[in-house]
Amino acid sequence: MPPAPLPALISDPTRLAALASYAILDTPAEPGFDGIVQLACRLCDVPVALVSLVAGERQWFKARVGFPSCETDLNSSVCAYALERPDDLLIIPDLTADPRTSANPLVTGEPFIRFYAGAPLVTPEGHVLGSLCVIDKKPRPEGLTAAQQADLRVLAHQVVSQLELRRAIVQRDAVRADEARTYRARDALRDAQAAMATAGGDVPAVLGALIAGAMQAIPAAEGGVVELLVGDTLIYHAPTGTLAPHAGLRLGLTDSLAGYAATTRAAHFLTDALTSPHVKPELSARLGLRAAVVAPILRGGRVLGVLKLQSAKVAAFDAVDRDIVELFANAATACLTAAEAQAETQAQDVYWRGLFDRLHEGFIVGEAVRNTDGQITDWRYLTVNPAWGELVGIDTKGIVGQTIREVFPGIEDEWITDFAAVVDTGQPCTFTRQVGTLHRWYEGRAFPLEGDRFGVIFLEVTQRVEADTRRAALLQLGDRLRDLATIGEMTAAASEIVGRTLHATRAGFGLIVGDVEFVDIEPDWTAPGQGSVAGRHRYDDFGNIRAPLQRGEPLVVNDVATDPRTQAEAGIWQGFAINAFVHMPVREKERTVAVFIVHDVNARVWTVDELAFLRNVADRVEVGVARVRTEELQVVLNHELAHRLKNTLAIVQSIASSTLRDVAERGPVEAFERRVLALSRAHDVLMQKSWTAAKMRSVMESVLNIQGGLDRFALDGPDLDLSPQAALSLSLLLHELATNALKYGALSARGGKVRIAWRTEEGTAPTLVLDWTESGGPPVNAPNGRGGFGSKLIRMGLLGTRQAALNYDPVGLKAEFRAPLADVQVSVH
Amino acid sequence: MGQFQLSSPTLVLVVEDDPILMMAMVEFVENAGCEPVEAYTVREAIEILETRTDIRTVFTDLDMRGSTAGMQMAVTIRDRWPPIELVMISSQPWDASQIPARGVVLGKPFDRRRIVAAIRKFAV
Repeated sequence: MPPAPLPALISDPTRLAALASYAILDTPAEPGFDGIVQLACRLCDVPVALVSLVAGERQWFKARVGFPSCETDLNSSVCAYALERPDDLLIIPDLTADPRTSANPLVTGEPFIRFYAGAPLVTPEGHVLGSLCVIDKKPRPEGLTAAQQADLRVLAHQVVSQLELRRAIVQRDAVRADEARTYRARDALRDAQAAMATAGGDVPAVLGALIAGAMQAIPAAEGGVVELLVGDTLIYHAPTGTLAPHAGLRLGLTDSLAGYAATTRAAHFLTDALTSPHVKPELSARLGLRAAVVAPILRGGRVLGVLKLQSAKVAAFDAVDRDIVELFANAATACLTAAEAQAETQAQDVYWRGLFDRLHEGFIVGEAVRNTDGQITDWRYLTVNPAWGELVGIDTKGIVGQTIREVFPGIEDEWITDFAAVVDTGQPCTFTRQVGTLHRWYEGRAFPLEGDRFGVIFLEVTQRVEADTRRAALLQLGDRLRDLATIGEMTAAASEIVGRTLHATRAGFGLIVGDVEFVDIEPDWTAPGQGSVAGRHRYDDFGNIRAPLQRGEPLVVNDVATDPRTQAEAGIWQGFAINAFVHMPVREKERTVAVFIVHDVNARVWTVDELAFLRNVADRVEVGVARVRTEELQVVLNHELAHRLKNTLAIVQSIASSTLRDVAERGPVEAFERRVLALSRAHDVLMQKSWTAAKMRSVMESVLNIQGGLDRFALDGPDLDLSPQAALSLSLLLHELATNALKYGALSARGGKVRIAWRTEEGTAPTLVLDWTESGGPPVNAPNGRGGFGSKLIRMGLLGTRQAALNYDPVGLKAEFRAPLADVQVSVH
Repeated sequence: MGQFQLSSPTLVLVVEDDPILMMAMVEFVENAGCEPVEAYTVREAIEILETRTDIRTVFTDLDMRGSTAGMQMAVTIRDRWPPIELVMISSQPWDASQIPARGVVLGKPFDRRRIVAAIRKFAV
């Protein structure tokens, strides 16, 4: 017999939903329900009682007595028919006789039930969930008594009450769980936002904090990741948990649930990847993903990426999780935006920083340090670039925060005052200055920044400055060598210039003895605190160092302790406070005759420029010495010549005197002798300057001295350098004038005097004007006739110019002589 | 003074290796009212001084062959014959400290007035 059709009500969704709301199916047995079925058995005197709940495709027993299984399919269900009768009991005295149940497997087979009475379980809303039924294995035609029926109703009511109570508890717990979940999510979100804010522009840190927070909020998550969207590709960032091994994974938008979320710009949760059209099976296998929850990270209309949590368990996530993940994704938007902006700023910083790092110029940002009066007394390094370190030779580590006075104790004050002026006036400045303690020169520009800050950009110019210094030193040396008269003075001057220019500790000049066997070092220049090494030294005592000097090459040692030529004797060198030295040979006729010596107490590398400078100095000293030797020889020759000249003049005098021995009048003879004498005096004065020039006043005094006493002459005029011709001419002229004055003029009287005054007249042709004025002598008469040699000579004037104005004033002779200054004076070459 | 000169002219030893200069020097001595005794070499001069005791003054050229011979002789004379006066002529600059005490050095060419005055002064 076919089974009777089951009531359509069974699959009514609202009834099923009501049943589900009690969350009772498949739960363990509970004493409250068990007690009811036991009571029902006893009250109705039956072996079987059940609390049967009818689901869409089965009936499930929450409590049972005398029945083996906990559920059956609906074919075996009698209770299903109870659903149609919410108000009445369903009583079937003989199940075999009722068309609805006669074919029921439980009736036709084990356990061969025969009697059924069920009271519907009706919810307060009127839904029938199932029944409380009692069952017997023999028919009961009498059914149940009225009391039994009433009891069964009451008990069914109790079951519903139990269900209600139970549901209330479950709902309360669920509310509590939801609340806890919300709190947890909120806490996690707050923590994550704080962490993301702290992470600043560090995008990986932001993403890490985001995922950590989301996983904290959703404990079911086993792995998490942010997939950032680049073009059409999602790239795994900060994978965490089970996803940790998949950093950098790249997926298309159609490969995964995340792609789906990005495409739809909506959050989703996935109950089971195996049934989802949005996840490729091989991907879910690879990632160990069964359930997932995803939310897009959006900014404006743009998808930045997707936040995903996953689990290997089916249905690990629900809609609440989806909402939570969405919250996190939204929070990430702000942080990612900030992070992006910050990263961009940082990238710019890095760009500028990189620029400064690559600069060859040194770069400093400094900040003024002020005293209590507000005056700038120092400044602090806020930034330096690597070039700064190279240019000053100091490790840049630890410099920032220190002041320049701390970094360079004893630094020149200008390094502070100049930059203080930049800060105080806001005007940039340029500088070329040495840091004395470093022996290095810097050139650069300082410019104001905001507040007390300023920037400096600079280059080292030590080489250029030192080249300038060496050039200036050579010029100075040239001047000194030209002026100095002895070899000793010249070598001393050169030593000092070399020592100071090369910042050496000792410099000197030594004469070589033999084939570079000995060196006689002359008094040397030394830096303060260094001793002299003047005196004789034997080269072989100081190592194997003669060879280069014998060849005429410089002997250059940068470090006596490591140079193989001096290594063995390093102690001797160091005993003289020498660790580096140069001997620059001075050559004469293919032989090294002298050396220029430079010592340094510290080992140092002598540069090509420095050696070239030394070579240059040695050459100049060589030329200077040669000049002095020539001059010394010239002086000897001059003296010999003067001696011979004067001796010859004496012989001339002697011949004249002897020749004119018989001339009765001795006057002319003596006049001749005295003219020779006057000529000779001019030569004497000229010889003092090797016949190149004579001082005018010396010439005058020398010649007037012959004429009995300088005190009768008053000389008044500037001392000029006379040419030899002018000196001779002036001597003879004054001699004749003085001779006449003694004979006839002012000097013939006791109180007579002569004033000789001279001056130069400027003009197109500057002129020397010499005035001879006699006074205090006898009345003057103009001489008659043309006169003799003396008168002629006077009329010829100075240098034969014939510019002689003679005024025989009765008071005394007045004479004026003029000559072109250019002829009178020594022409300056 | 004149009487004294006439009766006993002062003897002046003139030392000069150049005969022409000797002529002038002898003339200077005579102009000074003295009687010259000529010596053409240093050795000759020393011999005369060793053999004669009447020489009051030596008038010598310092520029004789063997550059320092003249000055050496002057020094020797001052040592051996301290009372003898020395009048010297030279064409070269002289070092005042080398000149023997009371010695007078005059330059060349000759300043007749000074030379004669110097010889005359010592002849008194």
